[in-house]
Amino acid sequence: MPSSSQDLYQPKPAEIREVIEENSQIKTFDLSFVDREYNDGFSYEPGQFMMVSIPHCGEAPISVSSTPLNGGTIHLSVRRAGKLTEVMHEMKRGDVVGLRGPYGRPFPMASLSAKDLLFVAGGIGLAPLRSVINTCLAAGHERRITILYGSRTPSDIAFKEDLASWGQTKNVTCLLTVDRAEPGWEGEVGLVTALLAHCSLDPHETKALLCGPPMMIRAVLAQLADRGFADGDIITTMERHMKCGVGICRHCHMDDKLVCKDGPVFTLEELKQLKVMELQG
Amino acid sequence: MAGLATTFGSGAMTNSINEIENAQVMLVIGSNTSEAHPQVARRMFTAMDRGARLIVIDPRRTLLAQRADIHLAIRPGTDIPLLNAMMRIILDENLADDLFIEMRTENFYELRDMLFRLDLEEAARITGVELASIRAAARLYGRAQKAVICYCLGITQHVCGTGNVQSIANLAMMTGNVEKEDTGVDPLRGQNNVQGACDMGALPNVFPSYQQVDIDDFREKFERAWHVSLSPRPGLTLMEMTHGGKNGPLKAMFIMGENPVLSDPVMSRVEETLDNLEFLLVADIFLTETARRAHVVLPAASFAEKTGTFTNSERRVQMVRRVIPPLGQSRTDADIIMDLSARLGYVMDYESPAEIMEEIAMLAPIYGGMHHDRLENSWGLQWPCWDREHGGTPFLHKYYFTRGKGRFVPAAHEPPAELPDDDYPFLLITGRIYHQYHTGTMSRHSVLLSREAGEALLQLHPEDGRRLGVRGGEMVRMRSRRGEVRVKAQLTETVKAGEVYTTFHFSEMPVNLLTVSAKDHFSQCPEYKICAVHLEKV
Amino acid sequence: MPDKYILKKDHLLPLLRKLKKTHRLIAPVRNRHGDTLFAGIDNLDEVRIDLENQPQNSLKQFFFPQQETLFTYSNPASDSYHFEPVVEESPPTLYFGVRSCDLSAVLYMDVVFLKNVKDPNYQRKRQNTILVGLNCNDPFANCFCNATRNGPFIDFGFDLQLTDLGDRFLVEYDRSRGQEIISDWRQFFAEADDQDVKAQYQAFLEARGKFRLQVHLDQAVKKLARDEVPESVWEELSMRCQDCGGCAYICPTCTCFSISDLQTTDHAGERIRSWDACTFSGFTRMAGGHNPVDRQMRGIEKRFRHKLQFDVKKDNRPSCVGCGRCVNICFGGTDIVRFINMTCCENI
Repeated sequence: MPSSSQDLYQPKPAEIREVIEENSQIKTFDLSFVDREYNDGFSYEPGQFMMVSIPHCGEAPISVSSTPLNGGTIHLSVRRAGKLTEVMHEMKRGDVVGLRGPYGRPFPMASLSAKDLLFVAGGIGLAPLRSVINTCLAAGHERRITILYGSRTPSDIAFKEDLASWGQTKNVTCLLTVDRAEPGWEGEVGLVTALLAHCSLDPHETKALLCGPPMMIRAVLAQLADRGFADGDIITTMERHMKCGVGICRHCHMDDKLVCKDGPVFTLEELKQLKVMELQG
Repeated sequence: MAGLATTFGSGAMTNSINEIENAQVMLVIGSNTSEAHPQVARRMFTAMDRGARLIVIDPRRTLLAQRADIHLAIRPGTDIPLLNAMMRIILDENLADDLFIEMRTENFYELRDMLFRLDLEEAARITGVELASIRAAARLYGRAQKAVICYCLGITQHVCGTGNVQSIANLAMMTGNVEKEDTGVDPLRGQNNVQGACDMGALPNVFPSYQQVDIDDFREKFERAWHVSLSPRPGLTLMEMTHGGKNGPLKAMFIMGENPVLSDPVMSRVEETLDNLEFLLVADIFLTETARRAHVVLPAASFAEKTGTFTNSERRVQMVRRVIPPLGQSRTDADIIMDLSARLGYVMDYESPAEIMEEIAMLAPIYGGMHHDRLENSWGLQWPCWDREHGGTPFLHKYYFTRGKGRFVPAAHEPPAELPDDDYPFLLITGRIYHQYHTGTMSRHSVLLSREAGEALLQLHPEDGRRLGVRGGEMVRMRSRRGEVRVKAQLTETVKAGEVYTTFHFSEMPVNLLTVSAKDHFSQCPEYKICAVHLEKV
Repeated sequence: MPDKYILKKDHLLPLLRKLKKTHRLIAPVRNRHGDTLFAGIDNLDEVRIDLENQPQNSLKQFFFPQQETLFTYSNPASDSYHFEPVVEESPPTLYFGVRSCDLSAVLYMDVVFLKNVKDPNYQRKRQNTILVGLNCNDPFANCFCNATRNGPFIDFGFDLQLTDLGDRFLVEYDRSRGQEIISDWRQFFAEADDQDVKAQYQAFLEARGKFRLQVHLDQAVKKLARDEVPESVWEELSMRCQDCGGCAYICPTCTCFSISDLQTTDHAGERIRSWDACTFSGFTRMAGGHNPVDRQMRGIEKRFRHKLQFDVKKDNRPSCVGCGRCVNICFGGTDIVRFINMTCCENI
């Protein structure tokens, strides 16, 4: 959290050390704070997000996609969606943005360590889960990990390096699918729910972490419910328009909860207490 | 303007805005009131709370239309046949106010004869509205004791704009729905102080207070006051000035607070005209698209930096007071005009806006009793206000119409200048949205307003969207015989299939590249509301 | 030290003159156009403090301005981006003539801006303030603070509180700063006697009976909590709402805000925060255009749920203070009283 209330809204300059082009719509920015000392003392947890400032464009919340165990660097994976992200996509190594955070309630990492883990992601939704997966792996997670990732087309597949390395990890099953095939694609075509149907999972011993478009979330939730997953074992993240990031401005309201402070990570059990558009369809 | 002037003798709202609350029936035609005139819509809502019934005549299913008891979604440009059909039904069903027609109007028989020749089935066909609905609307309006008609630019911005207005006036007179409180015909003005500008003679043929330039008595009065000789010939209309092209009638123009490059039809023609002037002078508070073309730009002061009056739709003259001094080098409009005039050799020496108002009161009879000291600390006065003792006029035409007797002027259907065909199959309607004002000169500087509505959207019926393969949020190329723009599609059932709607607020999507230059023969008002376009996915 | 005093009306102005030496003074002032507004007072002899009419504004703008600069930034090149804090002076300020609704609203804002995270801009303006309240003997036409249960008299939250007893004010204190004023300026205050206390109670009884609106706020709160508000109510109100944001701007407890960049030159600008309204569709619309709230059908739902359901759930009291200002300003007749009436039209 910010060191004093004085700079509650004031970001700190952070330099882009590298830009990784994930696909035509998503770039991952490797950042570190210009202030070395601050950078060294900075930490975050998987699931949290940063408020990113770009000159004349204001701020936007972006979830951290790297693992805090790789100290000194923050990965923000940014999908082109509005003016700010459009401008950010034009930025290059050496350019400086403003960052404040981290904000939000992280994934309950402690409760994951002794469980099988199922990750289901669509599109940019893999970004926050990548943070969790790499943190678990770096911490030596021993139980089974299943990763299901859906993209629109093969060229839309992001985080290819990670996917490849997860695919080669002993206790990890990593399956991809696309909505629409392209020449040369030999993998699955269809929805992630189809992949899910093929996976053998023990609903009582597995935590499911989902992140992606509302349609996907709804379909996956329906299937997990059928397979006997408890609502408390299903974890997802919510997205809302945000301004302050610290629970005052109330743009990110979801009934009486605020996504910036009470989320963005929620269990299905929690979401069912609320009227959530994503679940209602 | 011209339509009400020929029928009633005065081209302004006959009622006060507040009176709408007490109407039994409201007929809203060619007005998206809740977006363009929210303060008027508010009174309509109150009237509905009190049990009033609402008829909306509009090609689009606007928010107001959704709340209406009867919505007649007419084919654009067919208002006259619709109104004539309503009048015929009123005649047939004995709902006309014979005594009112006898006592207060003239020329009724010409209208009656025309109506008796009317084929109702054909009218229904032309307008695209079922006869039963027209009949229901006619009965509702015809039976009301207190009914108001509100109309706006959807009526006037047509080649038959004057005929539209005359038909509205005919309908109101035929049923005796004028000359009373809470009852009348109410043109809603398009912008703040348009009424005031017209009142002050910013029209080609009149001096302030609608005193015609070709009437000697009026002209001599102004010559005496101003110590100059004045021309008896009416001046040029807006379209004659901004559409003259290369060999236009003007060599120089002084444009104040207007942005014709974006707001006038056929943008390329306006640009050509302005670029061929020997001298263009623009005074505005921001550097508009028009100001960018000027040889000299004079920074003007905003409303908060000057003292004076605005006149609104209901003829109410209200004071605005200077809150802060003009910023930077900007100056008030009055200062700019006086200084310019002095340098051109005619000294205008007014020590204050109040002194100017005194002259207005002296020369413009309808403003005869309007003095700053009376307007201060009040909600203003409504003209006509003949002298200092006069309390203003909440509703017009009490006892008799301004012109004496109300005159029925029958109008026949005149089709729009350009209708869809095989090459240009869609009908484009232009208009406004709630969060932006006119060409966005002022409103687009607000972060919040731009967040609410920051870009032009083309309303397109989902069926048409499917046919064109266009989804919501995708870009569409829209082309007319005059130009082409790219605009983002918004799929909505607000518009009918075959019709599309967009706004003229955004310079990135200058829709007046597409519009036609055809105009009403009497008022010279351009037909912004209808042109034919071709759409394709980008 | 006794807890009730008498201040003669004749002595009010002299007392304010003393307090003004050390504090900026803000009070309801009637201006030359006949409007009463809370405003800063430079010269006590040149203004008319108006305790008869309801000020059109609340104290919100003084602690949380309509627009303020959070910090400035400069970006001379793409590899440099600097932020400079903007710290304004906030002199000690005395707010005089604050009615129970506006006083309760300040206490509510304290929770929003200071409870979990301390908002530096609010905190700076809020510290070193003295609140001098005024009990309402004669509620205004649209008032319903009896229904929100924070008026017309209030017995906490102020530094000093006045009750008009005709020729004199009864003065009470709740916080130490109020106590200090009384002891510092003892010559102005006489101890109140039994008659004065009885007179105050009588004034309270009479004030309680003078409300013109009957607002069944507690019923609406119950219906919201049980999710019994008919869909049609949200639809009707949302469709009628004219989207002007006036309710949120005028509301003493509406504190939602937006943050945006105001570019001043090619390479510099200000990060500003400005009032916002949850009824605007841009309030929730995300980058890319998706909006989790359907404005036309539900645009107004959040406003009433927040005030009458979520805040009740969280803090056990609604965050509407019954000042009635939104009733006055609303274009479309979609104010909170209309909502409550529509919700509770049956089974009162």
